[in-house]
Amino acid sequence: IGLPTNSAQECNNLEVERQRRLERIKQKQSQLQELILQQIAFKNLVQRNRQIEQSSNRPPPSNSVIHLPFIIVNTSKKTVIDCSISNDKFEYLFNFDNTFEIHDDIEVLKRMGMACGLESGTCSAEDLKTARSLVPKALEPYVTEMAQGSISNVYVSSNPVSN
Amino acid sequence: STVESSSRYQMLVNECQELLSKEQQLDELLHMCTTQLKLLTEESESQHLGYVTCQDLRSIADPSERMLMVIKAPPETQMQVSDPNEALQISLKSTRGPIDVFLCPDDSSGVC
Repeated sequence: IGLPTNSAQECNNLEVERQRRLERIKQKQSQLQELILQQIAFKNLVQRNRQIEQSSNRPPPSNSVIHLPFIIVNTSKKTVIDCSISNDKFEYLFNFDNTFEIHDDIEVLKRMGMACGLESGTCSAEDLKTARSLVPKALEPYVTEMAQGSISNVYVSSNPVSN
Repeated sequence: STVESSSRYQMLVNECQELLSKEQQLDELLHMCTTQLKLLTEESESQHLGYVTCQDLRSIADPSERMLMVIKAPPETQMQVSDPNEALQISLKSTRGPIDVFLCPDDSSGVC
């Protein structure tokens, strides 16, 4: 089979294309992982609250719960916070005299263990069972991969083509 | 040699093809996941039950050392955090309604 003389160039183009696709796949994999975590954490939370409400036979007082979505700012107790608020409460400005951390609600749910430890690879067999039960069937293999900490290898082909 | 580069070429073609179908598979899963999550959060029961308690919040940070501020803002609210080298500042701007901010109490009153 004769190859066109520019085959080396074509190989290089393909190599670039291959790298690009690998990058996109990696990015989409972590996106998928995050969405799976969100789904599991949210469903777990809803289930937990449903059980608590059923067993106590009443919803918790409305002033003791915070509905999603929300954001948390976490700082030292000693931090002085200077806050200006517009009259209509549409605008806020906070000044801190010390460092702070911002967490979204999903991060909070993860820290509460609602993602079954999947986010940190600390998922027990029992956790994994729960997690798998909370996603559609097509996603179950991914949940297992995440529990084993190996999802990032799922798609990356084993042997890079050498030059 | 020509034979070598020909086989390398073929390998690359195959791999690109394989990666393409894997990416398509991922796209489908991403689409499914996004739709699921959207439906889930729009469901009235899960909207009703999608909450954390003050106790939950206290459990994620040591209440004797940390202070937690809760921000509840309407969709599309903009949050800007300054460069920490210049200032320790957060600004919030909403266009669709007032923003609620409160501190998570560290006592056990259970009231936020």
